[in-house]
Formats: sequence, C-alpha cells, structure tokens
Amino acid sequence: MNIRKLTKRYDGKAVVDGVSFTIPKGKVTSLIGPNGAGKSTVMGMISRLIARDEGMVDFEGKEMKQWKSRELSKRLAILTQHNNVQMKLTVRELVAFGRFPYSGNRLTAEDEGIIDNAISYMELEEFEQRFIDELSGGQRQRAYIAMVIAQDTDYVLLDEPTNNLDIYHASNMMKMARRLCDELGKTVILVLHELNYAAFYSDYICAFANGRIEKFGTVKEVMQKDVLGKIYNVDFEIMEIQGKPLSIYY
Amino acid sequence: MRASSYVLNKKRIFTLYPQLEEERAERKTGSRADIRTKLMILSILVLLAAAAYLTVGVHFENQRLMNYAFSLRTPKLIVMAIAAFAIGGASIVFQSIINNTIVTPCLLGMNSLYTLIHTAVVFFAGSGSILAVNANLAFAADLILMSVAATFIYSYLFRKTNHNVLYVLLVGTVLSSFFGSLQGTMIRVMDPNEYDSLLATLVASLSNINGEIITVSLLVLAGVIFLLRKELALLDVITLGKNQAINLGVDYDRTIRRLLWGVTICIAVATAMVGPISFLGLIIANLSRQLFKTYRHSVLITGATLFGMVLLMGGQLIVEHIFVYSVPISVFITVGGGLYFLYLLLKGRKSI
Repeated sequence: MNIRKLTKRYDGKAVVDGVSFTIPKGKVTSLIGPNGAGKSTVMGMISRLIARDEGMVDFEGKEMKQWKSRELSKRLAILTQHNNVQMKLTVRELVAFGRFPYSGNRLTAEDEGIIDNAISYMELEEFEQRFIDELSGGQRQRAYIAMVIAQDTDYVLLDEPTNNLDIYHASNMMKMARRLCDELGKTVILVLHELNYAAFYSDYICAFANGRIEKFGTVKEVMQKDVLGKIYNVDFEIMEIQGKPLSIYY
Repeated sequence: MRASSYVLNKKRIFTLYPQLEEERAERKTGSRADIRTKLMILSILVLLAAAAYLTVGVHFENQRLMNYAFSLRTPKLIVMAIAAFAIGGASIVFQSIINNTIVTPCLLGMNSLYTLIHTAVVFFAGSGSILAVNANLAFAADLILMSVAATFIYSYLFRKTNHNVLYVLLVGTVLSSFFGSLQGTMIRVMDPNEYDSLLATLVASLSNINGEIITVSLLVLAGVIFLLRKELALLDVITLGKNQAINLGVDYDRTIRRLLWGVTICIAVATAMVGPISFLGLIIANLSRQLFKTYRHSVLITGATLFGMVLLMGGQLIVEHIFVYSVPISVFITVGGGLYFLYLLLKGRKSI
C-alpha cells in the first residue's frame, strides 16, 4: 500500500499534512504519536472511512477510489474503536457478517465452515450464541476480530485495538495481531497508544507528530531516545528486553 | 500448542477445525423454528382480529344489512393492513438507519411535514383546483413534494449532526413544531370554506379513513419496495453502524439516502390514509424487536406489521363496539404508546 501526500483539513487547519509512506506487505506496522498527531485520521483515510482532501492511496496497484467498495472489502478490513450495536446480535451472527462481501445475506456451506473456524481461532466457541451486548469488553473485541478473520482479507487495519482493555486482554490482543501476520500471512496495520506494545509486537513503526511523519522505519530505528523525545516532548530511556527495545518514561 | 498446528498458508486455517455438521444444523434450525412459531401465532391472532372485526355485530339474517356492513368494513380492514405495514416497516428501517430503537420517524416530525404539505397544496392551488378535488391526484402531488422536501431536510440533518441521535431528536422536535406552526398559520389565513373542505381530507383517522387512495397506496408501496430491493437487503449490515457497513463494502451515504426516502414515502402513505398515529410505530417496532430478538429485518418488519394489524384491528373493534366511537383509537395508542415509551426509556437508560 502506497500512500502519497495524504492531506486532511478541518476548518482550514491541516490535521494530516502531506503524509507519504509505503506500508510493507506481510508485516505488522504500528502508527504511533501523541494525541492529535493525525494517526487515526490517516488510518481512516487509508481505509476509506474518512474522505481525504488531497493525496493518493495506491492499494495493490490501483488507486483506492477506483476500487469497487465490495471488492475492496474482500481485500481490506478495518476495525474501529467504537462499535456499539443496539440490535440483538449473537457472536456467531456478528462473525457471519464477515462473509457479507462474498455471499450477501445468503451464507453457503463454505461460509459456515469459515465462520466456525474464525470462532474457533478466537476461542469463542462457548460464547457463540451469546448476545454481543452481554459480553465483556475483551470478549466483544475478540468477537469483532473473529469477524475480521471471517472477512478473510489480506490487509487488517485495527484502530486502537487495546483501548479500554486491561493489561491481560490488551497483550492478548497484540499477540493476536502478531498471529494474524505470522500464521495467516496478513498485513496488519495498527494505531496504538502504548509505545511498548508497538515496540514489542510490530515490525515497523510510523511515528506521527503534528500531522506529519516524524520517523518511519523498523522498530529499532524508531525506538531511539532522541527520536521519541522529540515526538512526545518527554525524556525516554530505552532498554533492551528479549531483544526488543522497550521504552521507559515518567 | 495450538499455534504449532497452524500452517502459514492462510487458506489452510479454514480447514483446521471441522465442526460437526449435525450440531451446527440443529443450532440453526432451532432459532429458525422458534421464529417461525412466533410468526405463526401472530398471524393467527391477525386472522382472528380481522374475522372479529368483520363479523361482530353483523346481522347475518338480513342479506342487505350484511352486505352494507361488509362494504363499510372491508376497505377499513384493507387500510388498516396497509397502514400497519407502512408504519411498521418505516419505523424498523428508520431505527436501523439511526441505530437507535426508541426513535421513530414521527418524533422527527415526518407526519407534521405531511400535513403541512397537504395544507400548502390546498392553500396555494385552492380547494376548487383539480389537485384538491381529485383524491388520487392530490395524493400524488403530496407524495412528490414530500419526498423532495423530506429527503433534502432529513439527509441534510443526518449528515450535519453526524448521525448523533440526541441532536437529530432535538432538531427533529423543533422541526416538528415548526411544521405545525407553519400549517397553523396557513389555516388561519385561509378562507373558511376552503378550510372546511381541507379538513375533511386532513384529519383522516381510523373512523374516517381515506379509502379512495387504496389502489394508489398499494402501487406506491410496491414501487418503493421494488426500487429499494437492493438497499433493503443491506439493512442487516447497516445495523452494525457506519464504519462496519463501509468496511463490509456498503455504499453507506447513498444507501441511507435512499432508505430514508422510502421511510418518508411510507409515512406519507400511512398519514394520508389514517392520519397521524405517532406512537404506533414505536410500539409495534419495539414489540417486534422484543419478541423476535433478532437483527434480521425480514423477520422484524413482518413482525411489526403483524403486531400493527392486531393492534389496529383489535383496537378499532373495541372503539366501535364498546365505546361506540366516543373515544378514537388514537387516544388509546397515544396513552398506551406513551406509557410504553416511558417503560423503554427507563429500561434502557443507557441506550439513548
């Protein structure tokens, strides 16, 4: 996925200002940065949820806007933070929606199999018939991930997937993102607040500040004292644990 | 230990967990059968209500009296069925568009808009003009104006407020009284004779139905369903919210615009036939949601329609034979609906 000079303005003020980078295929890439740096807006624009003002997004050799929405939904899945469903929907029915781009409202036997496997993959079998609004935050998040798995796309975009989750569920979520990449060969793009999750679980980090890319590179390249200090305006110490650079800030 | 059994080839994961076919089939038919039973019971209730409405108090021994009673009651029955479908369907679709189950199109002033347009047509064209004299033509004019005005107003409102329920409700309430005031002004300025002839068609109610437009209404509703057949199939996905719908490949803005247009037409049809019965949509849509506990709109809309028929037919039966027309059914619907609305609010306080 090639992103060129992406720009978004609200009331004349650019919140994303000429952002260009290329997302490596088959890797986990995290977008980080302080509040209001524009990382979620970039995520919205590369997933067609937010209309962009300027720039190009080249997806698999074709401009994003040239793709048919239905076709795109077989190649790219996005999960945002706010998912409140008012309707009575069971976990299985939610996961089944992942097959909508392929089969519409009529599920084939193959779809049913894929749904079963997505539910098993997220270990949701026992919740299968429970209603979404009766689940805890962590379980609900897993149900949505299962839906994304059933959607069977090459690209998976997760907007702050660890938000509102405790440490246990948040780290499980990150491990899941890693597995989506390693086991299922997906390109995973995350927007993250926690620096160390980004450092520990991703391959590449794209650091934003003030609507621009401050630094894009491998985890080791970005997780530097001076780079992070400049982005966040806080003093950092970098330690190496299990071969990964982790940051300490206070 | 599970991780080791995965193969990197992503297509393979979908063959790793074979589930028992029978178990899955049983689960599926279980909930389906449940829904079917409930639909059957509701349908039987509808038939009973319809039969009772047609036959109670009819003098079967006198052929002419019997025919006379049927000729009065049959059109009413048809009108009630059409209204139940139009109101039930519109309410369910509208709730799914705005992703909130305690909102109905009437709360946003859609039927005030209809009465305003109907008054405006007579006001500007005059009660002697063909637009006012011919019921079908008047209805057609109303529908066209209504679809243009409502699509413009409400899709703009939704876009501007970013589908925020509280804002939509607030603006809707203001719009509702605004349309009402505009209509009130026109009536006051109007020639009394004009007003008199307008009133006959303006305050349609279940005791004074507008039976002339049955055929046109049926055609209009059939046309709406035909034109929106693709969008109606997307309703289930739209329930998931804007982001998820787009993620699953739905052209969201266009779909919402078209569905909203359909809702407007349905409300216009119902208001023209039986007058404004604000709370009916709220009652039947929520009863259907509570009973069927599903997201599938084919079931929900059918359920709401059946509930609507039972309520209207049964209610009208009581009004005509027990209260002998002294209390119109809209009073019961408003009182009952108001209480039900309060109950829904208190039950699901967090849902607003």
